[in-house]
Amino acid sequence: MGTLGRVIYTVGNWIRGSGQALDRIGSLLQGSHRLEEHLSRHRTLMSVFDKSPLVDKDVFVAPSASVIGDVQIGKGSSIWYGCVLRGDVNNISVGSGTNIQDNSLVHVAKTNLAGKVLPTTIGDNVTVAGHSAVIHGCTVEDEAFVGMGATLLDGAVVEKHAMVAAGSLVRENTRIPSGEVWGGNPAKFMRKLTDEEIAYISKSAENYINLAHIHAAENSKSFEEIEVERALRKKYARKDEDYDSMLGIVREIPAELILPDNVLPEKTTTRVPTTHY
Amino acid sequence: MATSISRSSRRGVASTLIRRCFAAEAALAARTEPPKPKLTVSPSPDRVKWDYRGQRQIIPLGQWLPKVAVDAYVAPNVVLAGQVTVWDGSSVWNGAVLRGDLNKITLGFCSNVQERCVVHAAWSSPTGLPFIFEFTGLPAETLIDRYVTVGAYSLLRSCTIEPECIIGQHSILMEGSLVETRSILEAGSVVPPGRRIPSGELWGGNPARFIRTLTNEETLEIPKLAVAINHLSGDYFSEFLPYSTVYLEVEKFKKSLGITV
Repeated sequence: MGTLGRVIYTVGNWIRGSGQALDRIGSLLQGSHRLEEHLSRHRTLMSVFDKSPLVDKDVFVAPSASVIGDVQIGKGSSIWYGCVLRGDVNNISVGSGTNIQDNSLVHVAKTNLAGKVLPTTIGDNVTVAGHSAVIHGCTVEDEAFVGMGATLLDGAVVEKHAMVAAGSLVRENTRIPSGEVWGGNPAKFMRKLTDEEIAYISKSAENYINLAHIHAAENSKSFEEIEVERALRKKYARKDEDYDSMLGIVREIPAELILPDNVLPEKTTTRVPTTHY
Repeated sequence: MATSISRSSRRGVASTLIRRCFAAEAALAARTEPPKPKLTVSPSPDRVKWDYRGQRQIIPLGQWLPKVAVDAYVAPNVVLAGQVTVWDGSSVWNGAVLRGDLNKITLGFCSNVQERCVVHAAWSSPTGLPFIFEFTGLPAETLIDRYVTVGAYSLLRSCTIEPECIIGQHSILMEGSLVETRSILEAGSVVPPGRRIPSGELWGGNPARFIRTLTNEETLEIPKLAVAINHLSGDYFSEFLPYSTVYLEVEKFKKSLGITV
């Protein structure tokens, strides 16, 4: 059986080799329009000359995010997919427990029309919930909430417990006082935040820290781990819980496939058996 | 470490007095003015700065695996995470992020999510946004029904978009909003939480306000736009090989570095 296995292995190798040769023939036929695939050169943490990012070990930085230049990120924070934190001409400092959500941009300015340039500072436990918020050379203090798609221009200051509503444009050097919601274009005072909403801001920051751990674990998996999980998932996908409960079987979800409880507040892992037939 | 040492020595500070582990923080404090509470950052030496694999397109979380139909075009730099279902004929264009980690995201038949959109779904906890789900009763999942065109740079969060709509570019749809069938949202519109856009109307602005009703011809154009983008995505789909040949380059690198292939 050893020789048979070897023969099959060799035949497999030949088929793969001929497949690659066919691929080369096909590329030749396609000529200059052919698709040339290369390794991804996207650098998640990129340093510009001597300015390199300083990222805490607890931080989740999504692989498609770009943290460039002089950026410091404190522990527990998360930089989600597609963000760009470009600290090339000035300093960006992100506190701990902050989450900068998908596709946001945090830039700094070297020169300003007014002349005074501040580095961007984002405090602790801030939710830049702005998928696609644009923060440019401004200061966001602790436990603030920057809504979706908000644009904060140079020198804006968002004080503690303040909220910038979705889609708003906060003009230069605007100061958003504590406990207020500002919105619109240009951003104006809308209303005051209730205590419930202030509590919600800190709770959402905490939830995101937990969520970030899951995403971090998933994104840092090696190829072997991904393949193992894929096989597990395929095996588990065929099983229907209702059918199993009718047969009286309880199948265990493999441990790798269970999300930790602290992500979804109402998620229950125990299934209540149905008895109404 | 080396750069921070050189930085502090450039300042003329005696580097012998500063121990290596404090060099980075000292340089930090010396550089930033006005003085603010020092941010203690302890970087991990294992952090990967560059991964040759790039960002994975489909990110399963726990037992949720994003499902993409066989003829749907999903651009290579899209991130689908969690419970995301991309149905037939639909397309997700470059740079979009569909993050279904808290709740479900569904992209219906022949719909498209254009470049750099972010689609997210909030969890349905009543302690979340206290004024949404108790009033509207809409599910917290994001449902984009069939023939919907979501314009570039939009942000959708826990909204329901009924069949045959056009969402303008850079629009923001907040939690619990409902865009009824055959309506158009202008570019740059911000739909506040819980807002319902009635059927057959054109809304726009920040916050979204009624502009006018749509004529019948415009209503007929809506699914045509979705189908046109579907045809376009077919071109893009056929540009990509079913399996990438990057592994050859990886093998070459590994061989040159002496790593066993």
